[in-house]
Amino acid sequence: MSTDQITTKQITTKHISVKRYLPDSSAEPYWQAYDLPVDDSTSLLDALNHIKEELDSTLSYRWSCRMAICGSCGVMVNGIPKLGCKTFLRDYEGEIRIEPLSHFPVQRDLVVDMEIFLEHLAAVKPYLIDDNPVKPYDPQAPETYQQSPEQLARYKQFANCINCGLCYSACPQFGLNPEFLGPAALTLAHRYNLDSRDHGKKQRMAELNRHDGVWSCTFVGFCSKVCPKHVDPAAAVNQGKVEAAKHTLIALFKG
Amino acid sequence: MSISKHATQHKQAFDEPLWWGLFSAGGICFAVFLPAVILFIAVLLPLGLLPAEALSYERASTLLFSVPGFLFVGAVVCLPLFHAAHRLRHGMFDISVGNDALNKKLMYGGAALLSIVALGIVVTGFLR
Repeated sequence: MSTDQITTKQITTKHISVKRYLPDSSAEPYWQAYDLPVDDSTSLLDALNHIKEELDSTLSYRWSCRMAICGSCGVMVNGIPKLGCKTFLRDYEGEIRIEPLSHFPVQRDLVVDMEIFLEHLAAVKPYLIDDNPVKPYDPQAPETYQQSPEQLARYKQFANCINCGLCYSACPQFGLNPEFLGPAALTLAHRYNLDSRDHGKKQRMAELNRHDGVWSCTFVGFCSKVCPKHVDPAAAVNQGKVEAAKHTLIALFKG
Repeated sequence: MSISKHATQHKQAFDEPLWWGLFSAGGICFAVFLPAVILFIAVLLPLGLLPAEALSYERASTLLFSVPGFLFVGAVVCLPLFHAAHRLRHGMFDISVGNDALNKKLMYGGAALLSIVALGIVVTGFLR
């Protein structure tokens, strides 16, 4: 729908079904349907807030910024991972089924346990690693790092990740093998490897060049389709394969 | 620290870059050479659209049993075999058939065996 057709004057009723899981009262998840008033500006997050405030205060879900930057409100909408705040009910006809993100253990309703994703993120050391021996406040300390626009452009796209985890729910390989480092972690590793200020590539390559590193990716590409920030993790992971192959060749000759 | 580093080092996938390299090279051969080969050998030739003596026995064997013939077989048989083996291995993992360690040996082993046979025929013909 194009923006000039959007109206907040016309209120209609839509039905959404939410997959509930309340481990205190029932061991099995079940579907619960809600009818709510929506206009063209109603996002899925608005709808969940409406349910929580007006219809059913027992519903649990995560959210914070409502502007696609905190990455908290990821859910499955009709089987596709989406950010609640960036998904508008005007784009859906008929049944709307809301489930917690796939491939993660569910804690309660739409809240999942992202621990394994955070472990994979930490494993690739997603921060600048500087091997400069000079201590802070040392008069010998080098000048502030300078980076040209070209050096910035090399990694900029891969730096837009908000850690929402949608790509992990989209990745069939992560679904089969949770030990797979996965799209976001591999992308962030690649982002720091491409950064001219970083010297940690060698440490990261040891993680990337494992079976559970870049080599578990089969280039399905769905991660890049669902990414709300257009980071293109599939491209990063497959560039990572080239880097891992180079790393292996060099290791082979250096012994 | 040293233990975890050792564990990571231990799990390094030294073979994967090789399989992936062969897969990539095979993919290029599949896309670039095989359509032309199929067009000439499997479509134009049976339809009689090529001159009769273009691939006569004499000419075909001289073409095949030579260094360019060896490279031709490598590009249209061996590399695509490894490409297919890689896809089959990952496809079997996707549908949870067998275990990956065994599938790897079967798939790449099969591709290697068939490649040796194909290249062996060329070399035997070349030496005769």
